[in-house]
Amino acid sequence: MENENMVLEIPYGTRDFLPREAAEKRALETRLARLFGGWGYDEIVTPTIEYLDNLTLSGGSVLEPHMFKLFDRTNRTLALRHEMTTPLARVASSRLKDEPLPLKLFAVGPVFRYEQSQTGRQCEFYQAGVELMGSPSPAADAEVLALCVETLRAAGLKDFRLYLGQVEFINGIMEQYPLTEAQQAELRSYLEKRNLVALEKAVDAMQIPVPAKQALKKLPLLSGGEEMLEQAYGMALSEKSRRALDNLSAIYRLLKAYGVADAVQFDLGIIRDFGYYTGMVFEGYAPGLGFSLCGGGRYDHLLSSFGNPCPATGFAVGIERLLLARAAQGGAAQTAATGVYVGYAAGRDASAIEKALALRAEGRQVELAMRPQSEQEAKRSADARQAAVVYVA
Amino acid sequence: MNQPDKEYLTVALPKGKLFGLSADLFAKIGYTAEGLSDQSRKLIITNEEKKIRFIVSKTADVPTYVEYGAADIGVIGKDVLLESQKDVYELLDLGFGKCHLMMAVPKDRKRARLADYANTRVATKFPHIAERFFSQYGMQMEYIKLNGSIELGPIVGLSESIVDIVETGTTLRENNLEEIAYIMDATARLIANRVSFKLKFDRISAMVQDLKTVMGQN
Repeated sequence: MENENMVLEIPYGTRDFLPREAAEKRALETRLARLFGGWGYDEIVTPTIEYLDNLTLSGGSVLEPHMFKLFDRTNRTLALRHEMTTPLARVASSRLKDEPLPLKLFAVGPVFRYEQSQTGRQCEFYQAGVELMGSPSPAADAEVLALCVETLRAAGLKDFRLYLGQVEFINGIMEQYPLTEAQQAELRSYLEKRNLVALEKAVDAMQIPVPAKQALKKLPLLSGGEEMLEQAYGMALSEKSRRALDNLSAIYRLLKAYGVADAVQFDLGIIRDFGYYTGMVFEGYAPGLGFSLCGGGRYDHLLSSFGNPCPATGFAVGIERLLLARAAQGGAAQTAATGVYVGYAAGRDASAIEKALALRAEGRQVELAMRPQSEQEAKRSADARQAAVVYVA
Repeated sequence: MNQPDKEYLTVALPKGKLFGLSADLFAKIGYTAEGLSDQSRKLIITNEEKKIRFIVSKTADVPTYVEYGAADIGVIGKDVLLESQKDVYELLDLGFGKCHLMMAVPKDRKRARLADYANTRVATKFPHIAERFFSQYGMQMEYIKLNGSIELGPIVGLSESIVDIVETGTTLRENNLEEIAYIMDATARLIANRVSFKLKFDRISAMVQDLKTVMGQN
């Protein structure tokens, strides 16, 4: 390849947002910040780098190999944040611990994970995280879910669906049967990957009654609407899994009141990759995007790992994924308003500045020429920028 | 990004020996399309009435089509699936296309123990699976990726051993190779795109049930 066409490389899994893309991203983030504000959530900003120990306090060790790590001057290990929930939990349980509850916070910014990079799956990507801390009630879970639906709507998506489950349901079902810890962990890992073949083989090899086998094999197939919950009650023999279903019913009733129930389905086989979830969990999907748009759930023990027990629930949504899904659904990207190019004749620079300021005060997007031009030249410059021309003669 | 029509279910089938068996199986549950053949020049074959679409692709590409959602579901051998390291859901063991992965060496140059092959060269179509296997034994190997006629490797001095699939063992015998380590069994699997499995759950799970029924698994 010839040198003249060379573009300097950037690290694997990162990208530049060129003007149009950056404008779309900014517009979306602004719109989401306004939405979260309207629901009573306050923005906070946390550092991009944290101590590795803090980021991996609760179940983060699985993700540790995916984290970008470095050392500080005293050789303590630092890491770039790999998600928003843990930093927000850290702040809530330390610096904001005396604030009145519930605490409603959001943060928008880049997070980092080593991934095999694909479109919409970069090593550095932007996330909006929304957390509601201090309420154990289904009302808090319902609010978070409703806000998540509103977030996807505000991003301009028409076609999407959230899938709702609860980790305690699966745990309860497994505890009904005499399974060892190792067996439960094995089943959980197959459920997470939805490897039904391996799940069935593992279940068949277990020394448990046939109905138990049937119930376990059914776990990844419990997907559907409200009627699915009824069916699940039939399987739930333990107090724990029944309570989980009661909780999901309570949440769903409120989702109807919020007018978002049609966007939410149940999938009781959901296991999220973060280990800190304790209650309801959910994931959002849209056609045309090969991975989830957003995800979240309840994590009642995370804050106690920071020394301040407090129930909490929340979600995170990928900014680039929202933009991709909207593009796949043919949603209009916000195009920049047509600009104005102000050109001027020699000696008329002062009047041109005055004109440009006046147009800007009207809210127009104005570019002022950097040297005197003929009217012809000014017209050409304006055309090149797809802008209207104003010439000060 | 490709967005397949929401009403259609797109099925990726691999060319070659799994094709006929998969097409027959789908036909048994009523899913077929006119002119469905791996010799067809048409790459997409649609059955408008059943709202189903078949993509016929090169074997190793099936997991890719499914991972990206260009196909909702697909049929692929477990060996190719594992090697591809693609993030897809594995729904059903179809039972056919049975073979196993193993390590073989020339009979006349056989060494006493597996560990004696540490730091030697392995010719294989499955470097990822081979690496996982050898690393269990703490062995670092040099993997030489070949795309066919793996048996040739040790014969012409390209490698000390091979890792390959075996059905009957005839090819190994004809080339004076001997299996010295079993790695894993492989059969054809029904795989699904992670998002399709959720958004088209009813259709896909009904299909899995039907397949289980005709296969006599239920």
